Amino acid sequence: MRNLIAFLLRFQGVMLFVLLEVMSLFLFVTNSSYHRAAFFNSANAYAGVVLARRTQVADYFRLDELNRQLLTDNARLRQQLYPPDFARREADSLPVRRDTLGHIIYRHLRPALSEAAVPALAGKSKEAKGLKPRISNYPDTLLLGAAQVPTHDAAYPLVAARVINNSLRAVDNYLTLNVGAADGVQPGLGVMSSSGVVGQVKAVSAHYATVFSLLHSKMAIAAKIKRDGTFGSVKWPGDDFTYALLDYIPRQNRLVRGDSVVTSGYNAVFPEGVFIGTVESFVKEPDKNFWTVRVRLGVDFSRLTYVYVVHNRPRTERDSLEAAATAPEPAPVKPVVKPKIPRP
Amino acid sequence: MSMLGVVLRQLLRFGLYAGVQVLIIGQLSLFGLGWCFLYLGYILFLPLRTPIALQLLLGFAIGLTMDISYDTGGLHAAAAVLLAYLRPWVLRLLTPRDGYDAQDTVNVHQMGWQWFMVYLLLLVSMHHVVYFFLELGSFRHPLLALGRVGVSILFTSVALLIVQLLFFPVRRGRS
Repeated sequence: MRNLIAFLLRFQGVMLFVLLEVMSLFLFVTNSSYHRAAFFNSANAYAGVVLARRTQVADYFRLDELNRQLLTDNARLRQQLYPPDFARREADSLPVRRDTLGHIIYRHLRPALSEAAVPALAGKSKEAKGLKPRISNYPDTLLLGAAQVPTHDAAYPLVAARVINNSLRAVDNYLTLNVGAADGVQPGLGVMSSSGVVGQVKAVSAHYATVFSLLHSKMAIAAKIKRDGTFGSVKWPGDDFTYALLDYIPRQNRLVRGDSVVTSGYNAVFPEGVFIGTVESFVKEPDKNFWTVRVRLGVDFSRLTYVYVVHNRPRTERDSLEAAATAPEPAPVKPVVKPKIPRP
Repeated sequence: MSMLGVVLRQLLRFGLYAGVQVLIIGQLSLFGLGWCFLYLGYILFLPLRTPIALQLLLGFAIGLTMDISYDTGGLHAAAAVLLAYLRPWVLRLLTPRDGYDAQDTVNVHQMGWQWFMVYLLLLVSMHHVVYFFLELGSFRHPLLALGRVGVSILFTSVALLIVQLLFFPVRRGRS
């Protein structure tokens, strides 16, 4: 017995060392298992109090950083409350087509998707868009002014825009849109909303575009009556923003109240068949060869919010051909006579 | 010094080292790599003739206190117990030619710079190597661990040296 005690005393250091080391390593290895005794970690009451106090004190030294963090958070939240000019270019639901009863079918965009779809609509990422399934909810075609317009067309993108400024009461009215050259908008392109023709782009900056409204004294839109194809020209007389005049309908043609007036596609700004308005009334004036037709406009310009800028297809080629055809006959070119070089 | 006085003094030292480590020093990190293990000073600067069993128990106690604060299980305790176990060996290795005097303590002014720096760097290095490789759990990132060991040795040693220079008496020099 005495030998045992002597042995224990002699090797107390080693044994105690091994014992404590094994205990420590056991605690360390089992640290991650979740049924650990709660005492041996910082969640126990005493350590918790100490650490909480330390955090309280340490927070004072981090006030600068915390403040900056709060400011960024605030800025982000504020941004959600007041979106910038360039956001929200499309409504939450888009008109897709008509069902058999003539009612318009809307496709609803999920909130997350509408956000993703807006930059994708800008002309540049169009090519990449077809590959990605993430905007599969975005409709292939939109029903804009009774015409089906493809949205996934890489060469002729449909640019969604929001009206951020609008005038009604002047003789020459203009709109401002929150899209610009960066989104692929150029002067001269047509603008339409889901209920019909709106106008034509006048000038663009990098991120904004001004638009000749249909309510402009210089705007004339090549139109036709949908029922029989008689073509004429829609102009705004300058008084009431819900009415326009359809000119150049010959007196001998029969007119029916309520007929649809659509774009004819003759001036290549708009695709053919985009709704303009309906025939409201028509009178024969004694001193004119044409009917005076009042057209109720399809677009309510006082409530215009979401519009689309359309690229019409063969525009350039057609314009140049037509310009060449109507241009004065060019003077005959003198045939160039090559001087004859004697051969050696 | 009475027995009670010694016990009270050591308890006070324990509280001071642990408190300063947890509340202040533990927040700092050098180059984002290394930490300061100031609490090692508690074990390193114990009286020279402390019984080995008591040293081991005290090392385990202060290591476990750190583990509870930092949620590391038994990592600090394991390294600290090893340090406490190695300390007498290193002291024996560094015994001056005529042995330790009765009033000798671990004090840079008493034992001289050379003795003190060898003692400090040897023990701190061993502790840190064990600590950081245990923490990693493997030798998968040896370079990272070595970087941490190096930076931490620097940090801890300088901090403990400052503690020595500031708080340990200059008088009663060994002559």
